[in-house]
Amino acid sequence: MKQFSTLLLKEWRENLRNYKIFWIPVVFILLGVTEPLSNYYLPQILDATGGLPDGAVIELPDPEPEQLLVAVMGQFQLIGMLVLVLAYMGSIAGERRNGTATLLYVRPLSYVSYFLSKWLMASIVALISVWAGFLAGYYYTAVLFSAVPFGEFLVFAATYSLWMVLVVTLVLFASAAMPNAGLAAGLTLASLLVLQLIDSLFGSRWEWSPLKLPNYAASFLDIGPDATALIWTLAISIMCLIGLAALGIWFSKRNRAKTKV
Amino acid sequence: MNVLEVRSLTKRFGTEKAVDGLGFELAEGSATALIGPNGAGKTTTLSMLAGLLEASGGEIQRKKNLSIGFLPQYPRFFPWLSALEFTEMAAKLSGVDPRKARQQAERTLGFVGLGQVANKKIGGFSGGMKQRLGLAQAMVHQPSLLLLDEPISSLDPTGRREVMELLKSLLGQTTILYSTHILNDAEEMTDQLLFLQNGRMVEHGSLSQVRSRYADPQIRIRFENTNAAERFVRESPWPAAVQGTAAIIAVKAEGPIMQDVFRFLSVKSLQVVGVEQETASLEDIFLKVVAGK
Repeated sequence: MKQFSTLLLKEWRENLRNYKIFWIPVVFILLGVTEPLSNYYLPQILDATGGLPDGAVIELPDPEPEQLLVAVMGQFQLIGMLVLVLAYMGSIAGERRNGTATLLYVRPLSYVSYFLSKWLMASIVALISVWAGFLAGYYYTAVLFSAVPFGEFLVFAATYSLWMVLVVTLVLFASAAMPNAGLAAGLTLASLLVLQLIDSLFGSRWEWSPLKLPNYAASFLDIGPDATALIWTLAISIMCLIGLAALGIWFSKRNRAKTKV
Repeated sequence: MNVLEVRSLTKRFGTEKAVDGLGFELAEGSATALIGPNGAGKTTTLSMLAGLLEASGGEIQRKKNLSIGFLPQYPRFFPWLSALEFTEMAAKLSGVDPRKARQQAERTLGFVGLGQVANKKIGGFSGGMKQRLGLAQAMVHQPSLLLLDEPISSLDPTGRREVMELLKSLLGQTTILYSTHILNDAEEMTDQLLFLQNGRMVEHGSLSQVRSRYADPQIRIRFENTNAAERFVRESPWPAAVQGTAAIIAVKAEGPIMQDVFRFLSVKSLQVVGVEQETASLEDIFLKVVAGK
């Protein structure tokens, strides 16, 4: 693991100098802020876009603050995830493809350190983004509507964080396994969509599934998830994460010959 | 003492054999030039020796704890790193003591002539600077074997000269195997020549051995004008040919030697500008090897 710090420094410099560490959290903050703001200003927005017919009276009920945070999470599930997938799809496949990996692979490289340094850096960026976005959403919800109990908010965000780290692990695994960045993104998005579809169609038959992490996170804002189901889901998620990382390490070593010389 | 021995090394891509039964040895501290037309399998061979590609057959025997430095033909770098940051990382990943890595990187960058731009981002480097940086990353950990794929081809004449001098200064402590198609330079720095064609080794040996095998020494007599050359060809007792304002005589075993030529010229009082004995250049040999066999 002597190489780990050297490689992590490289990843840090890359994320810093490509501004990933700035712009990805900014996207998440915007997503977090938009939800409470657009709800708060909904009457004005309706007015500005042509308004309602004269005489029509519509009472807009104030949304529950919990609903707003869950809506923020919904944005993360769509746009946030897409941003992370696009930002990290080339981590390994791209390095191989453009040949920058060659000068690393000719050395006695530890592929464990190689993969994990990328994983750690991407996870840190994902975590910063998720927390910055949620905190921004939490703040505006509290100011414009009312506050969600902070303890509930913390477990909600923490549970969702594990899901995001799992997604990041999947992207890096795909980047190690696939010949180019586009295919890596395709594999990640396709497998997430298919798995989510399966889980939403037949998911009522099982309670333990990493795909239910966002649901369980959301239910912390409500009555709270079933403890056993949550613990098993967490355990399985962590096992999936370790499994994906192990496969990612194996693939990045196996595919080293595909680097452009 | 050999640092590397290769026996019947083969690489298949699908059904195509990119490298076919290669065998050679690299003596410690020697320089070996890998020569051949495009697509001969030079890069594939170097990639296998560097450990990037898995061989399909044969064996590569490396000396114990052999440290290798590798320069690809088109080295590609992370543009957002500075030359020093990159070289230091390369040193650390090659096992240089982290406390000495920076110092060693600085020294190596100075050695390849990048001392002034060590702290500049690689993204702004020219092709020649990248080639030098490629050399720096290959030798920063002071490897005992350097594998260089076309190390000088993309440099301008000045840069080529500097890098050749630099490589020559490493010989002795460092074994160098390099591919090139700049044959003048190969002529200058080779203990061993390996000719590849279609993945096979079609010729090898020291420069003088190979030369003697393909040698067709000839005498070139340059005259002031074509008429004189033509007259020489007409009147000389040896088979000769006109080439511009010069006459060429092939020197075979039974042919003339220099002295006979001088005697003949002085008798005929032809206006001679110069007379020289020419041996086959590596380029001539290259063309013969590639065309023949």
